[in-house]
Amino acid sequence: MGENGRNREREQALLALFERAGCVRAEPAVLQPAEPFIDLSGEDLRRRMFITTDHAGREYCLRPEFTIPVCRDHIAKKSNAPITYGYLGTVFRQRSGAPSEFLQAGIEMLGRPDHTAADAELVALSLEAAAAYGIASPEIVMGDVGLFSALLEAMHLPKTWKRRLSKDFNRARSFADDLEKLADEEAHQAGASLPAGLVAALKSDNADQARAFVKDVLTIAGISNLGGRSTAEIAERFVEQAGDGATPLPKETVATIRRFLALSGDPDQVAAGLRALAAETGLALEPAIARLEERIGFLAARGVDVAEIRFSTGFGRGLDYYTGLVFELRDRGRRVEGQLVAGGRYDGLLAMLGGSKDEPAVGCAFWLERMNQAGDA
Amino acid sequence: MAALIIAMPSKGRLQENAAAFFARAGLALVQARGAREYRGTIAGLPEVEIAYLSASEIARELAAGNVHFGITGADLVHEAIPDAESRVALLSPLGFGHTSVVVAVPQAWIDVRTMRDLDDVATQFRARHGQRLRVATKYIALTTGFFSKKGVGDYRIVESLGATEGAPAAGTAELIVDITTTGATLRANGLKVLEDGEILRSEAYLVASLGAAWDEKAREAAASVLDRISAEARARGLREVRAAVPAADAVSVAAEAARLHGAAAPFGTDASPLTLHVAAGAVPALAGMLRRAGAPIVTVTELHDVFVAEDALLASLLARLNRAG
Repeated sequence: MGENGRNREREQALLALFERAGCVRAEPAVLQPAEPFIDLSGEDLRRRMFITTDHAGREYCLRPEFTIPVCRDHIAKKSNAPITYGYLGTVFRQRSGAPSEFLQAGIEMLGRPDHTAADAELVALSLEAAAAYGIASPEIVMGDVGLFSALLEAMHLPKTWKRRLSKDFNRARSFADDLEKLADEEAHQAGASLPAGLVAALKSDNADQARAFVKDVLTIAGISNLGGRSTAEIAERFVEQAGDGATPLPKETVATIRRFLALSGDPDQVAAGLRALAAETGLALEPAIARLEERIGFLAARGVDVAEIRFSTGFGRGLDYYTGLVFELRDRGRRVEGQLVAGGRYDGLLAMLGGSKDEPAVGCAFWLERMNQAGDA
Repeated sequence: MAALIIAMPSKGRLQENAAAFFARAGLALVQARGAREYRGTIAGLPEVEIAYLSASEIARELAAGNVHFGITGADLVHEAIPDAESRVALLSPLGFGHTSVVVAVPQAWIDVRTMRDLDDVATQFRARHGQRLRVATKYIALTTGFFSKKGVGDYRIVESLGATEGAPAAGTAELIVDITTTGATLRANGLKVLEDGEILRSEAYLVASLGAAWDEKAREAAASVLDRISAEARARGLREVRAAVPAADAVSVAAEAARLHGAAAPFGTDASPLTLHVAAGAVPALAGMLRRAGAPIVTVTELHDVFVAEDALLASLLARLNRAG
């Protein structure tokens, strides 16, 4: 049997697995409005999309992935009953050195209230799918971005720091540097170009007065071009920056975050590490730890060898919309570059696309090209 | 068909400057009239054809290998050519067309001075208004590359085809990425450049296409064009300084002039008067030094061309072509 025949058979096996797992087959249109992708994934994805314009100037694209189209079609059905979708089809991305049209499959579990059980079911299904491709024991890399959110909440940080830390956690590239900068007293002093008296006044308890002052300054300067932000909005952030933003992050806070981020190992080790951290610092992390342990329990019950999972608190997916579990399956020998399967929980996504506010979602995508390579290797 | 095609800007200041540059290099442009006015030749070089194109078209034609050389801004090369390094060679800056591509925000944003601030505001804006900050620009690739390097992700690009600086006031974008030379146009539109918001400092370059048809005839034609261009480029900003220093001291004076003022003695130190080449800015100091060394008189002349045996521009082009193909 040729390579194509073998790949077709694997696809059939994957679709059969979807059916056994009770997935409804999703077949969204190839041509999609471009807006939701750019809005949710940013300009970096736009560069790789195939975009076209209709007569009315509306932008469309060839679907660059399935999660957003599947969620949009689901929202259009206006049904909140839990449902699991499975898909397999072509996606289109501009790639150098590889075809721009390639196959992707995946699972989206929408509306399941039993979060941790759904998480575990998804991971177990992805392992079965890998097995159907001849990948017996892929490397499982896992994290939970909900843990970092819980840490930020528990530390009761000023909102300017919380905002920055939570965003930078998502954009992992700069995070270690950023912590460094936030804690650097000299950088903060060098950055503070405001007269000390003014800063003191702005830092005073009377925030309304400070805001009024900033509004006056803008009015006196005759500045009318606000570029889409209101005077109040500018004033609020100005005051905030002159206050909290002008002081470095306390050393203990940085140390706690560093210690948190250093936790890695199998999930049980990490849970134990988190509990020790919570006990020593008095931070209320218990609900998040309990969720983690519950998920581990469900994974074990589904026959997943939990001790083999490489769990790390710092593992985020770099996509803003993940809210809890994040995971990847990789080729154990690294003969194939990149993730074979990648996914996680994105409870806010349906709401962002115009769906109902409290409809949870968890899903993953299968990179079939790479899975075929890994299966052949 | 001509062996070598050079793309020149077809309008504006860039055209004037490019034509003046060629004239200084002894390359007289002859522009055809009537239907073929977008094509031209160089007097005395029949194997060379000039194609008049817009500056951004020049970048694209270079990338496609449809022209051999082009004169265009580094900004447009980096914007219009993905993976520019492997497709074109920026042979030589030409000393005109200086400009910067910058990130500019409304002056009213008194809380925003750096890209860090912008990043924070972008996140807040998205959370508050449910949409991303809009960046008006025609430099889409440069903007996405720079923002991604700075870790700014919560924005979207609104492609602007002209008068970008008016976009924030018109309400079609919150901020812009555009070129500026003095910042005056930006200020007049109530905008300010972020402290670390300079994406690229650009000027006009002589650019070679690595993918063009570089046959023997094209290489020969390129050699004669580059020889003249480099002679002019080499002479630009250089002064010839002559001084009759005592013959016994010529070697040590030349060495001292090289060390202190970067002066070269292109004809050696045997002949008198001693002849030195030095950057225009170093002339007064060098003249002082030479007189202290005993020269009763020092003369300074502007150089028009400096031809050398081994042309570095041609050598670097040939090296790139060999590597590329």
